[in-house]
Amino acid sequence: MDYQIEEEAGFVVEDVSKIIKESVEATIGGNAYQHNRVNQWTTSIVEQCLSQLSKLGKPYKYILTCVIMQKNGAGMQTASTCFWDNSTDGSCAVRWENKSVYCIVSVFGLAI
Amino acid sequence: MTGGMEEFHNGSEGSFNAEEADTIVKECIENVVGGGDYSQSQVNKWTANIVERCLTQLVKQGKPYKYIVTCAVMQKTGAGLHTANSCYWDTAMDGSCTVRWENRTMYCVVSVFAVATA
Repeated sequence: MDYQIEEEAGFVVEDVSKIIKESVEATIGGNAYQHNRVNQWTTSIVEQCLSQLSKLGKPYKYILTCVIMQKNGAGMQTASTCFWDNSTDGSCAVRWENKSVYCIVSVFGLAI
Repeated sequence: MTGGMEEFHNGSEGSFNAEEADTIVKECIENVVGGGDYSQSQVNKWTANIVERCLTQLVKQGKPYKYIVTCAVMQKTGAGLHTANSCYWDTAMDGSCTVRWENRTMYCVVSVFAVATA
């Protein structure tokens, strides 16, 4: 197939990465890990990101995951694998941290 | 498929079977991690193996789906961990399944997302 799709219409990792970073900064920012707020944070981050992504108006389905972990020395490893269309689909993962919190957000975009 | 997306016009064959996926994932985790203890040097291999196995089993089902499998393994030291997922898709055809597993020294959370291909 010809490369007929313009760059704008594909999954642009930079744009998505920016959206994620802004959303995490705005939600957690400089706050310390608080067990009773973490629930709100994860929900707020994924919702904000999703609404920004759908505003991009591209013909994509999105899946977002957000992991927030307290910094106390525990080891953690995450992995993901995808069965999709390599030419149109894409993903972007952002690792963010402050003094007491690690936050990992992954976005997967699947072309319709 | 020209039917409206909101119609539930497919039988269980056509939509995502979360129960089956759950079983597949649990088996994969058991086989890879089983009774082992958290090990910094092995954890990389484990997460990679778990997602690969799950994906292979899911694809074998031969359904018209794209899949995303994520796995997080965390050492049990009392740290708090919270995860959330949000999906923008076709709620009639697409689906997900999350399995939380643990043993004495670690937690393992695996999520499978299945997106129908047109």
